[in-house]
Amino acid sequence: MLSRRLGPLWLGLGLLAALALPWLVYPPVALDIACWALFAVALDLLLGFTGLLSFGHAAFWGSSAYATGLVAIHTGLPFPLAVLAGAVVAMALAVPIGWLSVRRTGIYFAMVTLAFAQTIYFVVNQWGSVTGGENGLQGVPRELGGVDLSDPFVFYYWALPIVLLGIAAAWRIVRSPFGRVLVAIRDNPARVRALGYPVERYEVLAIVLSAGLAGLAGGLFAVGHGFASLQEVYWTTSGKVVIMTVLGGIGTLWGPILGAILLVLLEDQLATAGFDGINLVTGLVFVLVVLLFRRGILGTVRHLLLRRRDRRVPDPEPGVEPASAPAVEPAR
Amino acid sequence: MRRGTIAATVLLAVALTACGRGGPSGGGEGGVSGDKLVLAVLNDQSGIYSQLSGKNSVAAVEMAVEDFKAKYGEDAVTSNVEVITADHQNKPDIANTKAQELYDRQDADLILDVPASSAALAVAAQAKAKKKVYFNIGAATTELTGKQCNKYTFHYAYDTYMLANGTGRTVTEKGGKSWYIVYPDYAFGQDMQKSFTSAIESAGGTVVAADPAPFPNDNFSTFLLKAPTLNPKPAVIGVMQAGGDLVNVVKQYNEFKLRDKGIDLSVGLMFITDIHSLGVDAFAGTTFTDAWYWNFDEQNRAWADKFQARTGTRPSFAHAGNYSAATQYLEAVQRAGTDGSDAVVAALEGHKFNDLFARNGEFRAGDHRMVHDAYLARVKTKAEVGEPWDYEEIVETIPASEAFRPESASLAAGCKLDG
Repeated sequence: MLSRRLGPLWLGLGLLAALALPWLVYPPVALDIACWALFAVALDLLLGFTGLLSFGHAAFWGSSAYATGLVAIHTGLPFPLAVLAGAVVAMALAVPIGWLSVRRTGIYFAMVTLAFAQTIYFVVNQWGSVTGGENGLQGVPRELGGVDLSDPFVFYYWALPIVLLGIAAAWRIVRSPFGRVLVAIRDNPARVRALGYPVERYEVLAIVLSAGLAGLAGGLFAVGHGFASLQEVYWTTSGKVVIMTVLGGIGTLWGPILGAILLVLLEDQLATAGFDGINLVTGLVFVLVVLLFRRGILGTVRHLLLRRRDRRVPDPEPGVEPASAPAVEPAR
Repeated sequence: MRRGTIAATVLLAVALTACGRGGPSGGGEGGVSGDKLVLAVLNDQSGIYSQLSGKNSVAAVEMAVEDFKAKYGEDAVTSNVEVITADHQNKPDIANTKAQELYDRQDADLILDVPASSAALAVAAQAKAKKKVYFNIGAATTELTGKQCNKYTFHYAYDTYMLANGTGRTVTEKGGKSWYIVYPDYAFGQDMQKSFTSAIESAGGTVVAADPAPFPNDNFSTFLLKAPTLNPKPAVIGVMQAGGDLVNVVKQYNEFKLRDKGIDLSVGLMFITDIHSLGVDAFAGTTFTDAWYWNFDEQNRAWADKFQARTGTRPSFAHAGNYSAATQYLEAVQRAGTDGSDAVVAALEGHKFNDLFARNGEFRAGDHRMVHDAYLARVKTKAEVGEPWDYEEIVETIPASEAFRPESASLAAGCKLDG
């Protein structure tokens, strides 16, 4: 298949885009894009590949942001270690939350995760002596053995490998046998159970892995901004990442990245233009996408290309399948 | 082979990026960078603090720029002064991002205003990181001249010490010995609660209870119902809310008729816009500390007339403070002959002046507190009000040397300008 050969090309182009990003946009915005992209990929792992809509992912992103900030402030560890510590905290938090949440499915699962996230929000808000409450956690240092990271442009290149590792991990997870089981659970949990897989345990593990990736992103975000605020654990953050994922196309892994790029850029452009109704515009875009392109941007493109190929079944033209498409179909 | 090509491309890109782009270019040795001064007003333009400062503070800064140009004409260090603005919605995370953008992307030489203490502290951190000047007018926290002070941050109009020292001390000395304090649960409120408690206690009073309220908040009934049930019953309820929240709590204080139950109202921070939106009846007789009053003397009144002609409203002390701060910054640039932050800071430190806003003003070099005369004011009754916005009677002028926290106390609180 040509797509196999095209794969590395797409990957290379993506990497180049990631490297070129801070040249093209304001560097702090580039870092925001990278963090949100990883966050959206983490959510897609759950939403697109396991079929669980978490409406409380801010709990993991935010708890890691705070944990990373606290570790960085109090221990002065290099920032990658602080971020890692934040991700571990997020994963630890995901165990009880996941274990309790997977007892429900569909809308109830979403509501339970939202409730847990709000609990975290209130804990962070009330625990002012540690988290700074309404003031947020200020003055998170960017420490790395004496390297000067004060320029956001430089910091981006130190943060990027962590984001890329996170995305690579997600890519690897969905292609592993474990990932195939997740997809099977999404499509038919009863049959998977009949085949002898402990469905809930797989789901909890998926939530923990997703929380870990969300934690990496949240920790980097906190270090990048030098700041963790209540906004990080607020439910609108959970909503924003769902919008990004759906906008780009769920279950595509690359789609959420596209969604993150588009949404962060859109917000930045509107904010810079001094436009007040940012949420109105993102909301409208979201409604339009849900109404017109259910599969999201990348999902729709892939669907159209696949349909074109299917019509030519007798002579399948190689190369029309986008190389970036994850191996979801074979699992069906 | 292909992998090799890609790896090579990636490496090349990394190498390219590593070579390019240094840090942000520092301010020039002399002269004005880009022959342009950019003053940025960062404040709340749609929320609860939009009335007391908001867009009218932008107008005040524009007035300051016009007056500066008119004063120096050809001799001005630059004739190109731009005023830009951004809305921080009172959120520290947005303030943090906006401040970074204003300094980096829009080349702001100065950020002004920034109400909401949590947001103010976030901007102070950015000013320190970017080595750019920041005059805080709208926020009250003494942290700005305490633990979180820095070389590029100046605290301009007022602070919680000034308010507590004026209001808390006076009311306690006049007989309001026992207090119940309700404060908004963020930096400003926490700071107010601390400052008032220490001012009340050092004047011989007691604080029966102090409760945090959410911020922002619409419903204060929990606290207002609790007040008369406290043991001992407080003589004064001290509300530390500001802006729209203050209007709510005072409205509800009157609805619950607490004054008839023997509990007086004392307001921590009040702007004239608050009195205007509720009417003098709601506040009549309340004593509070003001940083500036438009009808205090001829000079204030003349400027207030100009301000009203432009905006249709009388100025609050935040508006006058923004005008004055912008003026003093421009004067400092004029004296220094450059907009390089370090030179401007040097020109400001220890500078003594009198202007429209600040009487006996001085930029203290040790903690960057701008000290000036403060005023103890009483809200007039309806019968005493002679004209629209004529709401205050200035009872006492608190001299600059006593109005603010002593410099030694700022240093004791942990202020290290170069730290």
